Formats: sequence, C-alpha cells, structure tokens
Amino acid sequence: MWLLTDSIYIGLIQAAPLILATMGFTLIYYLNGFINVTYAENITFGAYFASVFQTFLGFGFFVSIVPAVLLAGLFSVLTFVCVFRPAMARGVGPTEMIILSVGLSFFFRYGATLVFGNNPYFLENANPQYWTVLGKGITDTQVAALTLVAVVTIGLLFFIYRTRWGEMMRALANNRDLAEASGIDPARVSMLIWFIAGAAGGLAGIFFGVFALVTPLMGWNMILIIIMLSIVGGIGSVRGALIASVAAGILTAAITLVSQPLYAEIILLLVFIGVLRLRWKRA
Amino acid sequence: MAYLYFSLALVAVYIGITLLLHLQFGRVGIVNFGVVGFWGLGMYAHGVFMVTLGLPWLVALLLATLLVGLFALALGALVLRLDGQSVLVATLAFATIVLHLVTTEKWLTGGVVGFGTIEYPFDFGAATEPAYLALILAFVAVVLVYALRLDSSAYGRLLSAIRDNEPLAHGLGKPTFRHKLIFFAVTSAGMGLFGGLSASLNQFLTPNMIAPGVTFTAWIALVLGGKDHPWGAIIGVCATVGLFDVFIETFAPIPADYALLVPNIKLMLYGAFLVVIMLYRPSGVLGGYGRRG
Amino acid sequence: MTVEAKLSIAGLEKSFVGRKVVSVDRLEIGRHGIEGLIGPNGAGKTTLMGLITRKLKADAGTLIYRPGGTEIDLRQMSMDQVARAGLVKTNQVIQDFETLSIRDSLRLALAPAEREQFWTVFTKRRKRDAVEAEIDEILSHFPFENPNGDARSAGEKKLLDIIRCLLLKPKVLLMDEPTAGLPDDLTRAVMTLVQKKVAEEDLKVFIIEHDLDLIWDYCAHVNFLADGRLLCSGTPQEVKDHPVVVEKYMGVVDV
Repeated sequence: MWLLTDSIYIGLIQAAPLILATMGFTLIYYLNGFINVTYAENITFGAYFASVFQTFLGFGFFVSIVPAVLLAGLFSVLTFVCVFRPAMARGVGPTEMIILSVGLSFFFRYGATLVFGNNPYFLENANPQYWTVLGKGITDTQVAALTLVAVVTIGLLFFIYRTRWGEMMRALANNRDLAEASGIDPARVSMLIWFIAGAAGGLAGIFFGVFALVTPLMGWNMILIIIMLSIVGGIGSVRGALIASVAAGILTAAITLVSQPLYAEIILLLVFIGVLRLRWKRA
Repeated sequence: MAYLYFSLALVAVYIGITLLLHLQFGRVGIVNFGVVGFWGLGMYAHGVFMVTLGLPWLVALLLATLLVGLFALALGALVLRLDGQSVLVATLAFATIVLHLVTTEKWLTGGVVGFGTIEYPFDFGAATEPAYLALILAFVAVVLVYALRLDSSAYGRLLSAIRDNEPLAHGLGKPTFRHKLIFFAVTSAGMGLFGGLSASLNQFLTPNMIAPGVTFTAWIALVLGGKDHPWGAIIGVCATVGLFDVFIETFAPIPADYALLVPNIKLMLYGAFLVVIMLYRPSGVLGGYGRRG
Repeated sequence: MTVEAKLSIAGLEKSFVGRKVVSVDRLEIGRHGIEGLIGPNGAGKTTLMGLITRKLKADAGTLIYRPGGTEIDLRQMSMDQVARAGLVKTNQVIQDFETLSIRDSLRLALAPAEREQFWTVFTKRRKRDAVEAEIDEILSHFPFENPNGDARSAGEKKLLDIIRCLLLKPKVLLMDEPTAGLPDDLTRAVMTLVQKKVAEEDLKVFIIEHDLDLIWDYCAHVNFLADGRLLCSGTPQEVKDHPVVVEKYMGVVDV
C-alpha cells in the first residue's frame, strides 16, 4: 500500500515538469505534424535562462521564472520562423524534418556547451520552506511546480478546446487549405502556438533544473520519453499527452522505489514499442 | 604513430557503419536511429564473449554478430511495418535501452567503471595496429562491394521498388515485409560486426562510447555525402570523422586550452551542416538517383 | 458444357465503420473470357476487388480460387501469395516506382523470387536474353516515348502498371478502371492485347469500368453491383435491358 501511495505522490511531483514538456511538444506535433527534436533545447534553455537571471543578475528563484519562460517562448518562435517554417515551405517530409530538427538540436546544445561549459549550473530556491501535507514532507518549490503545472494545464486545455484561437489551431491542423480559405492567418496562429509550446518547455526545464541540475544534456535526456509519451497519448492529443505523462510519472516512481530509475526508463521504452505495435494491429 | 592507426581504424569503422546505414536508409528507406545500439551491443557482446567466457576472438566476433542480428530481427518484426517516424523513435528507443542496460548491469559490463581488456586477435609487435586496420578495411571492402553490386542486381531493383512504393511491389507478388526484415536484420548485424571489431580497437569499453553521438555522426556523414550512393557514405565520413578526428586532432596545432573545445565545436558544426543540407540539398553532395523531370 | 469457375465467392461481407460496403451472396468469375463489373460510384466495386486480392480482410464469406486442378482457399493467403498464385490486379489510381526505368520496372515483374535474395547479389549474373526478348515483345505493342527511360506521362504510368501485371502471367487478371487516365487509342491497344492473351493463354479477365462502351464491346458477361450487392448478371444485352440497371445506373451515366 505504501508503494502505491508513495508512487502516486512522488510520481505526481516528478511528472509535473514532464507533463508541461509533453503537452508543449504535443502542441507543435499536432499543429505541424512533425517531431520537433529541437524542443529538447527549449527545455534546456529555459533552465539556463533562469539560472542566468538568478546567478548573474541576482534575481530570486520565483522572479527569474518569468523572464526565462518568456525568453524560452521567444526562442521557440525563432526556431520556427528561421528554420522550420522555411523547411515546411520547401516541402521537407516528416522524416527528413526530424533529421533536420536533430541537427538544429545539436547545433544549439553544443553551442550552449561552448558558452556555459560542461559543468552543471544550479538553480536553487534560496529559502526553501518545508511543509507537511497528508503526513508527507513537501517543499514550497514542489508546491509551486505542482500548482503552476495545474494552472498551465487547465489553461492550455481551456485554450485549445474552448477559445477561438484554439479553434483556429485545430482547424489549421486538420485542414490547412480549408482553414486558410476561411480567413485564418496561419503565420499568426503558428507563432502563438510555438510561443506557448516553447514557454511550457522552458517552464518544464526550470523545474527539471531545480529538482536536479542544469546541464547541456538535460533536455536531450528527456526528449525521447517526451516524444514517446506524445505518440502513446495519441498523436497530437493534448489530453492524451497529459494522461500518458501522469501514468509514466507514477510508473517511473513505483519502479524507482523498488529498483532504480534506469530500469524504469527501460520498461517505459519497452512498453512504448509494444504500444506502437498494437496500434498498428488495430488499424 | 599508433594513435594515427587508431584514428584511421576509427574512420574505417565509421565508413563501415555509414555504408550499412546507406543500405538501410538510402536503399530501402528504413530510418534507423538506433545505429549505436546495434554497434554497441556487438562491441560489448564481443568483449563479454572473449573476456568473460574466454572464447577465441573469431568465435566471439561471429557470435556477437549473430546476437545483434537476432535482436534486429525481433525489433524489425515489431516495428518495420510502421511509418518512418515510428521506426525512427523505436530504433532510438532500442539504442537507449542498450545504453541503459550496459550502465545498470555492472556484473556483466562493468557499468560506468568500464570493461576490459579486449586484446587484439594477433600480436605482430609494431605491425599489430596496421594489420588490424587492414583487417577492418577488408570488412569495409566487402560491404562496399556489396553496396556497389546491389545497384545492378535483381535484388537491388526489388529493394528500390520497396522503397519507392511498397504496396505496389506487394501487389506484384513480392513478399516485401519479409525482404525488409531480412535486409534490416543482416545489415544491423553488420553494424554489430563493426562494433565487435571496435572492441579490440578500444580495448577498454565504457558506456559513454555508446552514446547517441555515434548514430548522429553516421547520419550526418551519410546525409552530407549523399544517402543514395555508397561513395556518398565514404565521402561523408572522410569529411566529418576524417577531418575532425584524424586531420585536426593529429596535424592541426591547437593550443591545449582550446583542444577541449574541439569536440563541442565539431558537434555544433555537424548540427549546422545537417540543417543546411536538409534545407537546401537533401540528397547530399553526390545528389540523388536520376529522377525524371 | 459449363466451364468451371476460376474464382468462387460466397457470402462475402465487408463493413467499414458499421456500414456494409460489400455483401455478395454468390459470384463466379472465370467462366467467360472477359467479364465486366459495373455499378454506380460507391457500389463497392473496388472494395470487392480488394477483398479478392486480400488487400482487405473480409468479415465473412468464402473465396475459393482454382488456378488449375487444385482448390485454394484465398482467406489463408497474404496479398503477395495471392499475386504469385496468378491472381493479379491492376490499379485504378496511378501507381509507379519513382526511381525505376520502364525496362527495370518490367524486369522487376519478371524476376523470379530465387534471384531476389540477399546473397544473390554476389552470384554471377547470367545473361537474361529470354527476359529481354519478352520485354521487347510486349513493349512493341505500345508507343512508349523512351522504353529505356522513365515513364513520363500519366498515361505511360498507367500503361506500365497494366503491362507489369500481364508479365506476371496471371490466370485471373482484375482490372480496376483501365481507361481512367489512359487515352482512347491506348485503351484499345491494351484491350486488344488482353483479348489476344485470353484467346491464346489460360487467362480470364474481370474488369471494373465506367466506360460502358468498352464493357459492351469486350465483355462476354457483365455483373451489376449496387450498394454492395450483386443485383444482376448476364450477357451485355441482358444487363443493358435489365430494369434495375436502367433505373439505378443508366439514367445517371452518359451512354
């Protein structure tokens, strides 16, 4: 019993940034139909931006989140405008697009390594508060992460399924020609979506960073699981991505409690290959 | 001097796996992003067979190749029917699993501490390294001859047909899935073979050798040189691994302070290359097949 | 004397998302040289052919194929096995191998399975004069712009698709709208060749076509399909005059 409750508890806390990153990644996958591996760098850069504000400019942890998230969103829009949109206009296919985005990802990752070095940065909450909830210890950073993720998740779902912008995005994803014919400006909608996705990725990176370390490889180490969750959740379904990442977080926590984290990832990856295979059989 | 032979052998190994990647991606359109998984599995299996089980070098190499082939067969049977994006992610997942298992199974692989020592199969004194380089080149030559002969063979025509339009080939009575599966298993086993050959080259194995950078290097070399030609793989490897890991490391006078930056600059440039090529010349330096139009 | 049917279909059913697209109680193919299948759009004609070639899996029913002497249950077979057993279908939508020349594309159709194996790449190549002669012969019937180059026009690709299928030496050839995308004179050239093959070889043909003139001119027997059901069949004249056909079909097609 303790295993179940602890798994859910730890899983939810750990999955919080994962949920954000997977939803952001899924937005782009849904809108443009390709796997954007450069999203890994969005996560990494979010964390680096925050640690720059904190370390060099002396901002408090919670204050540095705001400009870092905005910068991460901007970074995402820039990759779209400068690389991915031209590539789409040139008719690069979905598989080639992944190869391209892997290239861009390497470019930024090792570019960042040249600037920041291989040594990890630390993102810290200087005066952590410890609380007890339901008999378990929790820090204010974890509470903030959970709250922010909940707020952003609800906001995103509301945005996608209830607002006019969300409707335009879905129209664009489903039938581009028809959407354009009915007066939707694809450039504006796309830029907004890439901004939101990038900001979510940046926020995820900040929480990954504060729970562990900020390193050039942190985004890359996450991206495979994110891609996988997005595909398993039903390509382009933000709700599915949410459910899949919560389940993965809890499963990871459970396996980690009884053995070690790498086994958890191995099992997740095996499950993923199995799900891919099953999905084909149903089709 | 020994270091130069090591670097050249590294180039030869990369040419080998890039040629095999050309066969998989350029010939049949299989998007294998798990190159390092097959290569690394072959390398560690060869090491374990030789050092832990005490098998002779050649037996260990053949068993390692066979083992990788069986894994590729199982993975291929699961995912080769799926679309390119799924194959890409699934093979990447496979390589990640291999990397994690090598890290966690310390009793077998030594984990992050490392595993060794895997000796050369022969000892010719100072001539050992050059002789081993020649041995690797011989295997590369076999793959190259195969890739070149494929061009004008009935089997090559069939593979082209499968890549161009699999349902149409299937309708003409060709067992397309079986062909893809066998081809994938044999070529992936080939990557395992080059992994096995790399074991003696490295002598001491650590998990960071089987990081995704290997897969990425083979891909950038293939895309740069031109995925549709065997020579493209060779040109691509010479322009990437040959330039950075042999020419610059051996001959360019880089101050020690900056030498540490070279690998980062290298990978950053690889990334930039890849973006530019995919945008402006997707068929690489050598161009595509003679398409109509 | 009745000729035994090459293909016997009974109780064949297929549904997509709850809608029954094909529901054929009984259909015998191959008693006559060239047979036609007509019917309005959405009648399930292409689906029926897909079920026969095993591109689609039937929900229920039997498919018995008799290439000569033996009986084969097609429901046990995959699409490529069906094709190798001599049951071949030409494509309605233009299909092509982008990187194969016309001649290579035909060589592909003629290549036996044992020459297309991983290790045959290293075996010595024999001269394939017989194959080349066969390709030359069949190409001589058609005006390809450059038989050694690529198929350029949509018409050439469509023609190539049909020729590839003929080179497989089928016992039963299913043709899904051979005239779609093909100029009229080429259609006639194709049908003349098909007629010749039917007369000389053990070949039966089953054609889906909206060009009814072609059906009336070449088919000995015609089947009419609507809403997935076989509503009538008989000689061209019988079908032409059948009240159901007139009501459901003739009114909406320019004849």
